[in-house]
Amino acid sequence: MDPLTGDVWTAGDLLDRLERRDAFFVLDVRNRDEFERFRLEGRRPVPALNIPYFEMLEIGGKDEMVDSVVAYVEQDLTGALPSDLPILAVCAKGDTSEFVAQGLRRLGYRSANLKGGMRAWGEHYATRPLVESPDLAIYQVSRPARGCLSYVVASARKAIVIDPLRHLQPYLDLARGKGLTIEAVIDTHGHADHISGGRVLAAETGALYYLHPYDAVHPIDVLPATTPYEFIRDGQVFMVGQHELQALHIPGHTLGLVALRLDDSYLFTGDSIFIRSIARPDLGGKAETWAPLHGQSLRRLLGLPGAITVLPGHFSSLDEADEMGRFVASLDDLKRRNDGLVVLQRESEGGFIRYLLESLPQFIPEYVDIKRVNAGLLTPTEEDAMTLELGKNVCALSQAYTASGGGGQ
Amino acid sequence: MSQVFDKLLDARGLNCPMPLVNARKEIGKLAPGQVLKVVATDRGSIADFQGWAKVAKSVELVGQETESTDGTNVYVHYVKRLA
Repeated sequence: MDPLTGDVWTAGDLLDRLERRDAFFVLDVRNRDEFERFRLEGRRPVPALNIPYFEMLEIGGKDEMVDSVVAYVEQDLTGALPSDLPILAVCAKGDTSEFVAQGLRRLGYRSANLKGGMRAWGEHYATRPLVESPDLAIYQVSRPARGCLSYVVASARKAIVIDPLRHLQPYLDLARGKGLTIEAVIDTHGHADHISGGRVLAAETGALYYLHPYDAVHPIDVLPATTPYEFIRDGQVFMVGQHELQALHIPGHTLGLVALRLDDSYLFTGDSIFIRSIARPDLGGKAETWAPLHGQSLRRLLGLPGAITVLPGHFSSLDEADEMGRFVASLDDLKRRNDGLVVLQRESEGGFIRYLLESLPQFIPEYVDIKRVNAGLLTPTEEDAMTLELGKNVCALSQAYTASGGGGQ
Repeated sequence: MSQVFDKLLDARGLNCPMPLVNARKEIGKLAPGQVLKVVATDRGSIADFQGWAKVAKSVELVGQETESTDGTNVYVHYVKRLA
């Protein structure tokens, strides 16, 4: 075993290496379309080669997988793989890539297997404390492969969870580990890119589940959610110990989007202001109608105290994090460096709307179904849920992706 | 639709890449023109058999079906040996 790299990397090991900007090479043996849709991205581009395993098997031509990998690499990949970098073998679930890593090691390469494959990476969560005192604790719970961020806000052992993601264990573990009782679960909006854990987490913990009623209607089906929720209204205050968490209705990305402002200190922006970019207004299928609302809502947020710390609902690239791996920035800072906010401050209302409409990434068809799932209009199997959520979120304007350091060539 | 086949390979419960590895071995034992039926529970096998059949010169994927029994999906692949 290579003492530096090990033979197996867990998803957690992989995140550490991506955050540290470690140099390594990826040999991804999934289908080409799977690779295109969902690949490893880091703080800097991760060099990768995609060769489906069945091509190695067939062209390598041996009965056993490892032997075929060895034969294929000797025939076709000599010179294409680095001898001075660890090579991470990657597949969908981590079984086939183990054979690939073994074959590479037999040839003298330093190779490790990604345990559990892209499935494990896609379902990996990281919990980072932003503040932690008995009076106030905020934890950022991220799903790094998808670029999804959620939060646990706690005071005096009582917690509110904001935008919990599909897998509940990270929240339950955190609550148990810190001795917290989850009293309320808030979805800032009806999510399109991921299946919310909100309703299920609330049911599991006996907490109340909150959503703005506008987002309890599927925007394209125009059908009401089938599952229970408590209404959020603009200005509503949730108490977190002595701290006020106030809902600000900021329609635009969705009609029922709320930001949550914790005193003058923190602003949970949901899908409005991210670190590098801003949210797209078209996922409800009504870009031209919603874009002006989005502009007005963002201007409302710009009027908040500049020192307030923005805690976004997504990131587009790991390099948006600070050195501690946290996705946070002050509003003043973002006014200077967030692409969308820079344009917002510079342009007229009409100019900003044009910018929004010219910056829309491709519409993701799965997002219509994910909204159905979140409204209780569709119940997916675990496999379906995984397929719907595959890959990184595309909730920001397109600049977020073209500017991203995480492409990987 | 029920496809005619000459040999059955049960790859249920096997993870990737074993359904395909075993299918390659079995198809090698068939005569040209004969068909191997593979039943698998690995959902990824659908795309993988399609991809493999495009690369492998001596096989043709003549049919694929998904059968559902008791909530468990079984993925069926019919592979014909060409030469």
